[in-house]
Amino acid sequence: MDKSLQVMAMYLLTHIGLIFFLYPTDIIGSLSVGHWSAILLGFACHIAVIGLFTKGLSYAAPKSVIDIFLETGKMAAVLLLLPVLLYFLMILIITVRAYSEIITLVFLANMPLWAIMALLLAVSTYISALGIESMFRTGLLVAVLFLPFLFLVFCLSFQNVDWRYIFPLMDEQAASFSYVFSRSYLLSMFAFTGGFMFLGFIPPYVPYNWRKVMWTASLLLPVFLISTYVPLLTFGQNTASQFQFPFIMAIDTVNVTWLMFDRVTMFFMISLICFVVLFLSLIIWKTTELIRRGIPSVHPIRAKLVLAVAIFVVCLYIPDWKHVEELLWWNTFPRLYVMTVIPIATLVLGIRHHRKGVACP
Amino acid sequence: MDLLEYLQTRQKQDADLFLHRMVLIDHTVTLAGYTSLIDLPQTMMLLQQQYQNAIAADQPLIALGNGMGECLNDADEPAVVSAMSEGNLIILHELSGYCMKITPVHRTLSRSIEAPSTENVVRGSISAFNEDLDTNIGIVKTHVMSDKLRMHSYWFGKVQRRRAMLLFMEGQTNPAFLDAVTRRVESRLDRDIPNLLALSKALGFPKWTLVTRYNTTELPENVASALGAGKVVLFLDRFPFAMILPSLMMDMFVEENDRNYPLFFLIAFRLLRIVGVLVNMLMPGLYVALVSVNPDVLRIELALSIARSRVDVPYPAIIETLLLLVTLELILEASIRLPKTIGPTITMVGGIILGQAVVQAKLVSNILIIILAATTIASFTVIGFHNAISIRISKYLLLILSAVYGVLGLFVGIVVVCAYLASVSTFGIPYLYHWKARDQSDG
Repeated sequence: MDKSLQVMAMYLLTHIGLIFFLYPTDIIGSLSVGHWSAILLGFACHIAVIGLFTKGLSYAAPKSVIDIFLETGKMAAVLLLLPVLLYFLMILIITVRAYSEIITLVFLANMPLWAIMALLLAVSTYISALGIESMFRTGLLVAVLFLPFLFLVFCLSFQNVDWRYIFPLMDEQAASFSYVFSRSYLLSMFAFTGGFMFLGFIPPYVPYNWRKVMWTASLLLPVFLISTYVPLLTFGQNTASQFQFPFIMAIDTVNVTWLMFDRVTMFFMISLICFVVLFLSLIIWKTTELIRRGIPSVHPIRAKLVLAVAIFVVCLYIPDWKHVEELLWWNTFPRLYVMTVIPIATLVLGIRHHRKGVACP
Repeated sequence: MDLLEYLQTRQKQDADLFLHRMVLIDHTVTLAGYTSLIDLPQTMMLLQQQYQNAIAADQPLIALGNGMGECLNDADEPAVVSAMSEGNLIILHELSGYCMKITPVHRTLSRSIEAPSTENVVRGSISAFNEDLDTNIGIVKTHVMSDKLRMHSYWFGKVQRRRAMLLFMEGQTNPAFLDAVTRRVESRLDRDIPNLLALSKALGFPKWTLVTRYNTTELPENVASALGAGKVVLFLDRFPFAMILPSLMMDMFVEENDRNYPLFFLIAFRLLRIVGVLVNMLMPGLYVALVSVNPDVLRIELALSIARSRVDVPYPAIIETLLLLVTLELILEASIRLPKTIGPTITMVGGIILGQAVVQAKLVSNILIIILAATTIASFTVIGFHNAISIRISKYLLLILSAVYGVLGLFVGIVVVCAYLASVSTFGIPYLYHWKARDQSDG
């Protein structure tokens, strides 16, 4: 049974959860004019990566990326997937820590950090313990409940926009792509490549049509554009670059007279954090899946609990936001690996598998 | 005559058991059965009539067994007793030891078909199931006049026997699902089913659950549509409702009776029910979150007015809300037990006197009264009382999370509830599944 709808919903939610907090800051920081070129370049990378990845997977369907890699031999699979495991662990730590920090910064200022981290981890571990299929159904339900609301906020966010800020469209820096190796641009890539790996882990459990997922990816382009351009058009480049979370500041300026709530932002942010919880549970599931394939005797639910506790302890040892940023930067290297090596390896191995299958059916 | 002696000793312990001697075509036979289940004079008249016919046709007594009942050759005592407790009449021929099981004229033990008592119908058929299994099946048969309707009959239990019927439509039901259900039922026939919890356990559903895995309905109309959609329906004797398997989330919002209205109203009703559920789950949590953790979210005028109404309230918002919520739950619980004549009094006492007094005593704020009244009413917009209960329970989780984490806790609570609902499944059919009959494509 094709479950593309669930996969599409999960794909949208996990990406939207990642985009709105740090991504606009990084893009606005990486260049001062012609942000669209940076967004489009990143988006093109995103499409290329998931295109290669899903194509490779479709050749070997319904095998997961772990199975495909295991065909080359256990050693090679371990070598290929070990950085991925490291990447997942880092993402888990960074996401839990960073989003708890964001929550305390923007609201809940009196709440201790550990309590928020405990909530995020407990809920995402619970969701991942329910199993991958429940997780995807949850994603669909959450999407039905929250996406209309987000759509409303997107529409409202254009309230204070001054379209003249869109100019100039281009300068030398944007045209020459010289920003590509700047630190903040590389950091911004996390929004494009943070979530795609799940597409490779789910095929044995949640079959989907990869073309439909590619179409869903195109829905993300306006979201990326909105996340950067709304703050830019509201405040202008110079002001927007001063804010820690420019998009959230931009929505904070929106005033809806007919609503009983003063800060629509808060509901918006919290919905995004709920998406991040789903994202976290997905990564916890992927990580335990990797561990379980490496050491089959591990009990999945116990592994999840141990993992959650370990992440919690590590997160407690990260003292401040500066260290989080440092960790984010370190994570760029495994991310580049995951972005480039994994899709290409999947495609090559997928084609090989396909040929073998055709040669001796 | 072992059997007769056995029955005679049994009669001493069992006052309900009758042993009646009568003469049928020169043979003396003993009739045995339960007086509470059998209308003896009518049955004897029936027997006499049958045997008059037998004499006319010049047939021996034994041959009549083929026409009237079932022979219990070499029947052991438990088999005879269980046949009697199922409401049959036993005829014992003293000389030959011949034993026959006959369907007698039963006493009328069930009420006539009435209107439903927990599910009201405004527009549509208002006959409801009653306790008697055969009547229920009859009602279903009149609603589903189809040659595809299939039924399996089972007897559950060893100590307390209870009859059950499993109904489905041939070719409409998902075969894997049907197979799983029948196999499970057939493997658990030795269990006693005194209540629905025992039935859940026998069907292998977890005991600790917030969502019942079968939908109960009193309305034949709902059963007919469920059967048509390829679901499986289970009837238990002495339960005045049908259990529809599997239970799905949409059953909370979608009812067959909606289709008796124009399409626009149908959509509006369903949306209203969804809003009802959301209001019920979110409102108390939202109030606590906004009052005690995130007051900055509210528009300043509203925040001030809430603050003003809470000026003299001595406790934190969570205690205030719990206090009133528990009171409301008590009233609800009590009103189920109360005789109908006292109901209006309680409404007055609960609604006017208690509500007014509690505000004047400054125990809770005005706004909370409004919110909780709306919440309680909204919880009953969903279809089925069992669904209303699960909705009522889940708001407490959101309430506690909101008290600790504010609006964040509320939203994360929604995700947790969604995840819980997503994890529920009935014989492999997820609760969130969009059900379609088998001849349509699976969605």
